[in-house]
Amino acid sequence: MKKPLLISLLVAFAFSCAKNSDEATDKANFVRIYDNEKFSASFYPIDIKQTPDGGFLILGERKLADSTAQARDLSAPNFSGTYILKVDQFGAFVSQQELGADKVNPIGPLLEANSKYYFFAMKPDTQTQLLEMDADGTITKTSSVGGSYPAAAFIDDGNFLLLRYDNFSKQSVVSIVSPTGAVSKSKGFSVGAGDGVEGPIIKHFLRTGRQFPFLVGKVANNQYFFNGFYNYTFSLVFTDLTGDTPQGVVQGQQTDGGFSSAMLLDGNRFAASLFNFNDNYFLPSITLNTSSTTGSITKLDGNPTLELAANATIKIIAATVNSKETLLYGTTTRNKQIVIYGYDKATGKFLGSRYLGFSNPFEIAAMTTTIDGGLAVCGTTYVAGRFPRICLFKISKDELAKSFK
Amino acid sequence: MRKIYLVLILIFVAIGTHAQGKKRSSNFNTTKTKAGANEFIQQQWWLGFKAGVNLAQADPLKRYTILTPTNYSSSQTDKKYDAFKEIGIQTTVEISYYYKGFYFSTQPSYISSTFTYSNELKKLNPQNPDETFTQTYKQSQKVEYADFPFIIKYDITGSKLRPFVQVGIFYSLLLNAVKTVNDSRVDQASGATNTLTDIRGVKDMFSNYWGLMGGVGASYQLGNVRLMLDASYRQSMSNMVNPENRFSENSFSSIGVVEDDLNLKNVTISAGVLFPMRYLSSSFKSNDR
Repeated sequence: MKKPLLISLLVAFAFSCAKNSDEATDKANFVRIYDNEKFSASFYPIDIKQTPDGGFLILGERKLADSTAQARDLSAPNFSGTYILKVDQFGAFVSQQELGADKVNPIGPLLEANSKYYFFAMKPDTQTQLLEMDADGTITKTSSVGGSYPAAAFIDDGNFLLLRYDNFSKQSVVSIVSPTGAVSKSKGFSVGAGDGVEGPIIKHFLRTGRQFPFLVGKVANNQYFFNGFYNYTFSLVFTDLTGDTPQGVVQGQQTDGGFSSAMLLDGNRFAASLFNFNDNYFLPSITLNTSSTTGSITKLDGNPTLELAANATIKIIAATVNSKETLLYGTTTRNKQIVIYGYDKATGKFLGSRYLGFSNPFEIAAMTTTIDGGLAVCGTTYVAGRFPRICLFKISKDELAKSFK
Repeated sequence: MRKIYLVLILIFVAIGTHAQGKKRSSNFNTTKTKAGANEFIQQQWWLGFKAGVNLAQADPLKRYTILTPTNYSSSQTDKKYDAFKEIGIQTTVEISYYYKGFYFSTQPSYISSTFTYSNELKKLNPQNPDETFTQTYKQSQKVEYADFPFIIKYDITGSKLRPFVQVGIFYSLLLNAVKTVNDSRVDQASGATNTLTDIRGVKDMFSNYWGLMGGVGASYQLGNVRLMLDASYRQSMSNMVNPENRFSENSFSSIGVVEDDLNLKNVTISAGVLFPMRYLSSSFKSNDR
């Protein structure tokens, strides 16, 4: 009696080993490349947010020129258009919005407040706009903020911090903006006189030159920081938005060095990265003096990351991996793969790395943790090595745990 | 691996044929025992070996795509599966218990199958036909499995030439999988044409599966051994793709190559030989019923 039972159990076990796909598996891991069949179309993601339905909202840029001849015509400003993509929890396409030429140069991150999603963009005359959309990616409101060239944003207790470049006063301006577009506080700091400083900034906005890692954020009550141009140099600047001079500055090296990312951990401790004459350095745990105006990136030690592309885009997020608070650095390698490095948030110890993409070029744009404990990584890939398209990697909680131990 | 199977088969055929050809003492299985012979021969164990070729076709159970269209039909990304195009091989050891015309058989096999499929990607500019780009992926997927079937076979007649029918259930254990992707690109705008071929082991992307099979064949009595030819149709009843690793092969997923959930169909044709396991004298032929 025992033998037939044992054999039956073995047979049942063997047949149960056959694996069928299911929703949970399909949601946990996937790769998507959102493809447009138009030969001249180009799409570049900026930021990604998971929506309550488990899907994702992706803010991106698109090339507005309809033809290669139009794209070469630089007689008029040729800013990037705004592109919004909504995908479901499996990464399947749901909808897209190609906003018109009156809403250009969108910037990240996507800011979530009151169950709505916000981002800054500008009119073709460079004046800043705040756009509100729902979780489906439909624009529900556009507010005029005023001031030129929005560069970076941050969410702060229901309001938004905005860093912009004012091309009339030649200042980097930090403002507090409400979800209705009202500016409650604002302070500007001179980038320095002369066209020599402004040139690279304007080229950044026109996408015809080096892309600078503009940032804005908050350190503590009434102390804010921005990563932008100050006194001829790309610097990390601390301000209370009241004093005319900064409270603290960590200077870069004109346009050749500076912070490429910075995320506040606690107190004055940051997770950050530096660029310096095409090299890149990671600083998973660095305490900065936010009240000294003589700081310099040359005084900061960091791990040289030689495999990264010159002046690579670097995104840092905090995630819980293997029940451990982990810092994930997402960036792009010299051979055009996306790579994610993991560090222990408490100690800065290296935990592992994971590479995404191969063969065709891949470049990081943004990362976000997901409801299921996984990670979504959004970037640009060049389909067939030619056509810039948005790609999305969803990595499950288990896969993350394998990569960052 | 294939060579070992072939050599083993040849050795067993040689030994079996030699053994069956030996003369036995005259008092073995004498007329005294002949009365119970028919009863005796109604039960028999057979050991056999066969080998042959197969054709394979994969059918999508559920389609998956990495390239996700935003302004054209999603059906354009569907892979087109070829029907029974590439030849594979299989070798089998057959162990059968015969009882009153029925064989209860297990036939562990090594089976290597190759199925093929393709898909195409286009980029267009309606205003300028020169701005056209076409990319064609042609994929050849070879999978190697160890099969463990349970088969019931029935001899339709008891003559020297015995046609039979068979049905069975099998479990396939994944041994290896290799994918060959031929990526052909034609860019009308630049005039560039490239063809890239990538061959990689993709065992992790596949899994074990189970299935059902049915077939027909015939055996021919030659001395105490039987020569056999059979044809079977096999159909997997579960997904042969490992959904957990569908996107794990970075080199393929990066260029938009991903497996659908698949059923595998095979048509197999095998030839071989069967040996009776109980000794029988020349007066008790194994074809007696």
